[in-house]
Amino acid sequence: MAQRHPAYRRYRRRAIASAASIVASVGLATWQIPDHSPPSAGPVALALLSGAGVLIWIWASARYLIEIDDEYMRMLQVRAILVATGLTLGVTSTWGMVELITTAPRLPVFFVFPIWCLGMLLGSLVNKLTLGDSGRGC
Amino acid sequence: MKNRLRVLRAEREWSQQDLAERLGVSRQSVNAIETGKYDPSLPLAFRIADLFGLAIEAIFLRD
Repeated sequence: MAQRHPAYRRYRRRAIASAASIVASVGLATWQIPDHSPPSAGPVALALLSGAGVLIWIWASARYLIEIDDEYMRMLQVRAILVATGLTLGVTSTWGMVELITTAPRLPVFFVFPIWCLGMLLGSLVNKLTLGDSGRGC
Repeated sequence: MKNRLRVLRAEREWSQQDLAERLGVSRQSVNAIETGKYDPSLPLAFRIADLFGLAIEAIFLRD
C-alpha cells in the first residue's frame, strides 16, 4: 500500500521536479560556466535554481510526513531523516574540524545535500535491517 | 508489547493485506504490529479493537 499511497505519488512528483531543478542547474553550470568564474548574476542564478530544488525536496518530505496517514510508514520516514541528519552533521562537523586545524582539502558545501541523500539511503537500510521494512527512501 | 492480532486475524481467515485494508494502513504496518516490532498509537489500537469487537486489553497484553 505504501508504494501506491496517494501521498507517496504526490511526494514522487515533487521530488522529481526538485531533482530536475538540481540536475539542470548543475548541468548548465558545468556546461556554460568556466571553473573559478567570478560570482556574477549568471552563476548566482544557477545556484539559486539548485537551492530552490533542495528547498522543494525538503518541502516535499515535510508534506509527505503530513499527508501519509499510516503511522508506521511515517515512523520509518522520520527514522531515515534522523539517520540522514546525523550522518550529514557528523561528516561535515568532523571534516570541518579537520579543515580548521590542518591543510586538508576543503569540502565544498555543495556536497551537504548529496551527503544527506546518502544518509536517507543509509536510513532506509537501517530500517530494513532493524525492522524489516525500508520505508520510502530518499 | 505482546498482542493477539495474528490469532484474531487467522480466526477470521483474513490475510495481512485484508486486515490492512480494513484498518486503512499498509500491510507492512500490520506485519510490524503482529511481530511486536511496532506498538500502535492509541487511536490505531482503538480502530483495531473496534474492528474485532473487543476491548484493547483483550488484544494487546502487557509484557
